[in-house]
Amino acid sequence: MKTSASSQQFDAVSLSIMWDRMVAIADEIVSTLVRTSFSTIVRDSYDLSVVIMDTKGRLMAQGTYAVPVFIGTAPRTLRYMLERFPPETLRPGDIIATNDPWIGTGHMFDISMMRPIFKGDRLVGYTMSITHLPDIGGLGFGAAAREIYHEGLRLPICRFAKDGVMDPFLEELIRTNVRVPEQVIGDLVANIACNEVGGPMVTSFMEEYGLESLEPLSDAIGEHSERAMRVKLGEIADGRYENHIEIEGTDGPIPMACSVEIKGSDVSVDFSGTGGCVPRGINVPFCYTNAMALYAMKCLTIPALPNNSGAVTPIKVSAPEGCLLNAQPPFPTGGRHAIGHFVPGLIFGALAEAAPDKIQADCGMMDLMTIQGTHRDGRGISTIYFASGGFGALSGADGGDCVPGPSNMAVVPVEVWETITGTTVEKKSMVPDSGGPGAWRGGTGQEVVLRNDTGHPLTIFCMANRTEFPPLGYLGGKPGARRVHRLNDTEVDAKGSYILAPGDRIAMTEAGGGGIGDPKDRELALIERDIAQGRVTKEGAARDYGFGG
Amino acid sequence: MTHRIGVDIGGTFTDFALFDESSAQIAIHKQLTTPDDPSRAVLEGVTVMLRDNGVTIADVESLAHGTTLVTNALIERKGAVTGMLVTRNFLDVPDMAREQRYDLFDLRLTFPEPLVPRNRRREISERVGYDGAVAEALELSEAEDAVRDLVDNAGIKALAICMLHSYANPTHERAIEGMVREKFPDLHLSSSADVYAGMGEWERWTTTSMNAYTQPLFDSYLSRIENGLADLGFAGKLYIMTSSGGMLLPETARRYPVRMLESGPAAGVLMSAFHGRALNLDNILSFDLGGTTAKGALVRGGEPLKTDQMEVARVHDFKRGSGLPARVPSIDMIEIGAGGGSIAWIDERGLLKVGPKSAGADPGPACYGQGGKQASLTDANLMLGFLDPNFFLGGAMTLDKAAAERAIKETVSAPLGLSAMRAAWGMHDIANEDVARAFRIHASERGFDYRQATMIAFGGSGPLQAMAIAAKLNIPRVIFPIGAGVMSAMGLLASPLSFEQAQTRRTFLEDINPEAFAEILAPLTKAAKQPLLAAGLSHADIRPHIRLDMRYFGQGHEIEVTVPGDDPAKAFSALPGLFAARYTSLFGVAPMDESLEVVTWKVEVVGPPPPLQSGYRVTGSGSAATASEARKGTRTCGFGGSPVEASVYDRYALISGQTIIGPALIEERESTCVITPGNRATVDGALNIVAELEA
Repeated sequence: MKTSASSQQFDAVSLSIMWDRMVAIADEIVSTLVRTSFSTIVRDSYDLSVVIMDTKGRLMAQGTYAVPVFIGTAPRTLRYMLERFPPETLRPGDIIATNDPWIGTGHMFDISMMRPIFKGDRLVGYTMSITHLPDIGGLGFGAAAREIYHEGLRLPICRFAKDGVMDPFLEELIRTNVRVPEQVIGDLVANIACNEVGGPMVTSFMEEYGLESLEPLSDAIGEHSERAMRVKLGEIADGRYENHIEIEGTDGPIPMACSVEIKGSDVSVDFSGTGGCVPRGINVPFCYTNAMALYAMKCLTIPALPNNSGAVTPIKVSAPEGCLLNAQPPFPTGGRHAIGHFVPGLIFGALAEAAPDKIQADCGMMDLMTIQGTHRDGRGISTIYFASGGFGALSGADGGDCVPGPSNMAVVPVEVWETITGTTVEKKSMVPDSGGPGAWRGGTGQEVVLRNDTGHPLTIFCMANRTEFPPLGYLGGKPGARRVHRLNDTEVDAKGSYILAPGDRIAMTEAGGGGIGDPKDRELALIERDIAQGRVTKEGAARDYGFGG
Repeated sequence: MTHRIGVDIGGTFTDFALFDESSAQIAIHKQLTTPDDPSRAVLEGVTVMLRDNGVTIADVESLAHGTTLVTNALIERKGAVTGMLVTRNFLDVPDMAREQRYDLFDLRLTFPEPLVPRNRRREISERVGYDGAVAEALELSEAEDAVRDLVDNAGIKALAICMLHSYANPTHERAIEGMVREKFPDLHLSSSADVYAGMGEWERWTTTSMNAYTQPLFDSYLSRIENGLADLGFAGKLYIMTSSGGMLLPETARRYPVRMLESGPAAGVLMSAFHGRALNLDNILSFDLGGTTAKGALVRGGEPLKTDQMEVARVHDFKRGSGLPARVPSIDMIEIGAGGGSIAWIDERGLLKVGPKSAGADPGPACYGQGGKQASLTDANLMLGFLDPNFFLGGAMTLDKAAAERAIKETVSAPLGLSAMRAAWGMHDIANEDVARAFRIHASERGFDYRQATMIAFGGSGPLQAMAIAAKLNIPRVIFPIGAGVMSAMGLLASPLSFEQAQTRRTFLEDINPEAFAEILAPLTKAAKQPLLAAGLSHADIRPHIRLDMRYFGQGHEIEVTVPGDDPAKAFSALPGLFAARYTSLFGVAPMDESLEVVTWKVEVVGPPPPLQSGYRVTGSGSAATASEARKGTRTCGFGGSPVEASVYDRYALISGQTIIGPALIEERESTCVITPGNRATVDGALNIVAELEA
């Protein structure tokens, strides 16, 4: 790796300040975006990203609170945008946008909006914001589509705003095609606004430090990141590591495979052997696969390293075209996370022997259920219920109980849920013994029982997994308990749609996380604490840990 | 009865301010904090201060007190053994928390343990619906058995009663409370709807458990203060400061210790607001930097911004989401892991960082000569010449400059290949950047334009860093108030009696009329007024401020709207317009055509303004006969890492109207104001230093 001459003008103080300032600017753009967004998904789940890129299209800084699915997507999106609208054609106040799954971030709910940064009349870089819109037409959020055309409005790369003002035709087009136009337009306006405040922050920062261009700073950020990553990657022994798992599909199990090749500090991750696309909205465009693979490598190396192009330079990700992890149009992609979330676990499993102190056992993952119907007060209900399984264990750390991974959300409190839906949560409690036994225990799952007290039929759409294939433990650790959905005490397919008549119950038992290391090596004090705090029963401790025998 | 006392307990010092209403003079005093029993320093300090100023305790009308005792008990987990009763089938709510990770990349993240461990919780059969209707009757005998079990077998001293939807109907919680008061009279009790009548079980229950957990300790502490003051002959009123900047009588404070979490820091912000009002400043950044952390708050139009969402005892480097939630009215403060003791280190990128790890008071910075080997911010400030090794704490402590330089060279300059001065300046600069960043985000999240605001700086190291931070934020003005070293103690004198009650009650505006609207607010207002009436105020003295959290139907979050005027029924028709205006200003889009609902109702009642008004003098200040007399000499300082001669002044000798040109150092006992090169400061009529930054 070479060090560029221009990057040497920064010492360990000035680079620290200027780099962190770039991240702070991205964070400030995020806070504008969040404050002005209408939808809950942006505000509470931070399903968004903001990045700053230089004129070479390299990512310099990303807002700290971005979810993993947005790692590394922006530079690719920008490249496509600049092919359509070359830099010399861009004007101050332009906003270029798209929600194309293959150009953006894998499904049409995400809009990517880019605005060029001008210092005087000179183009010096780009800001980009990405958010998950409340609706984009089509069948709505879920995996029910059989082709991409069912999933709603696909916006090709377009000049979305001129002089900061939204194109009136595009606004009308979107209003006409979505269910909650006020909310969607509100969020689009928030995206435009945050990019508008971002540019001047970057240029005033450049003035403060006398920077004519961002490239030397970008070089320095990239070089330091790449060097730091290479040091950590070099700690993993050279070799080719593989993993093959199966996950549940609608017509039999779907194979997923990956190989990770480590040569010095260069890493290649490939997903050959993974099954083909399916006519359901769970296919994963490569941008999403790439993001989840980079996320896994970041967790394994330097979790705190700010995201930028240099940090991912040593890692190459590939997947055969047409497989589930490199889906092609017209396969639908709306619920691409349902499959994409298996990618980090697949990689951790491959590296279990090579990086035993760093990898995480499988997570129980989260359970998302869409509910539609009528409230007792007559108002309509359309909302998502969320409950988390257990977090996978790591060497030296038990997995968190009811902690989501690899994605993230926040639970809707029982009191809020009952108020907005008119349903009753009969029970919400941790399931003892559900965490995968191990020297380090997987997090417990939970049981949630919902009763339809609305007085009207409720339709529920489930998209859950880990029902046939439990979350795996590694290095001697055992799997967590699998997920079960029951409708009035009868087990049902966790990917199905059901009608809940008044008084009917749906019970969700969420999967536990996998364990790490042989359960026989678990410290006695930890087993005793688990029993005292209800994570493990005495019987479970005797069975899984040989406790008390 | 012409005197009032303010007492604030900090980590190192307990600060005192004695206000003489007849002469508008404030005397200040400092005393080392006595951590084993903080009341000792309070009582000793009161005695000493009164003696020094020739005041008898019979002349003291009131003593206002701020303390971080409650917060410390939570951070150090030193509260009482506490039990908890919850609705059947919801025993695990405290462990399950938000089901959300606050850090997506650090897979080893940890969460704070619940204050009441699972084996000290019991489930009770009962169920109240979201509409307040009883869906399942309470089994009171079950509750009695559970409490007996907790008392006999777990040895609990305090109990939190936490039932679902109790904010909508507290009958069950009250029935249990009544039973426990009768059968277990020694237990300290907290019921969730009484502590915080808001929706969201984890947040409400956690807040309630905090209240229960700290009640016994806070109760006995207040008793020690009350008895000690009585022994001294004190016959005035004792007031306790809340996080929201209001005063309570001990009786109410005992019932709600969780309202005292930011008691001391809130008083500091209140003083910033006080100065802002006196100087007619619209927007203020209140900035306090002490030994281990910095605190910031925003003041708009003379009033500190408030929140009812706090987080306590964060387990992960001050990261949002890594602490326990407290739903109590509070001044909206940011805590930043930057203080005099913040340690310099080299991160995984190979770059210099400062904090949030702190050398604390023991061993403290390397220059304290107590064995600290790592370089801290105070070491850097000493090396840069901003601190005088012989005048730290007014000369009470001598700093070891060689030790500071050695620590910086060994842990920073050598590994990074920097000169020692560059390293020291880098530490100073990076700490400033961290504070500036925190302010930027905090202000931006709240839609507060900091760029034309004024910073008011205080605390041990605040005045040292303030102007450099202001420059990073493009803030044109920094004020160093007189008495900055005891800012919170003075703020205690500037606070009115006040109390706030909030209640979740989801109501569509279209379903009610002006009379019904007023009827919902009436009991809330009555409950909020109760503590003030008990303190001897009349209805005419009390002003209610009504705020509503409102949203469109379907919207996932609320917007706060202030109800204008004194008559809610009259203001009712204006609500849709007020909401629409607020909505448009926040989102930049036209208002929607959706039903409007009120989710949370909040009534804050405030008593008459405090006696402390502008124009007071601090005893011993403004002592010089001429402007030049305050100048002590010069010292070489490392601004930007290069040596510059700076004038040194004695803060207490400065006189009104005097101008000081930077670079300059203005020393007082507790701190040093650094006036950066090229900028000028003037001393105003109240002896505050007002520094203007060149654009």
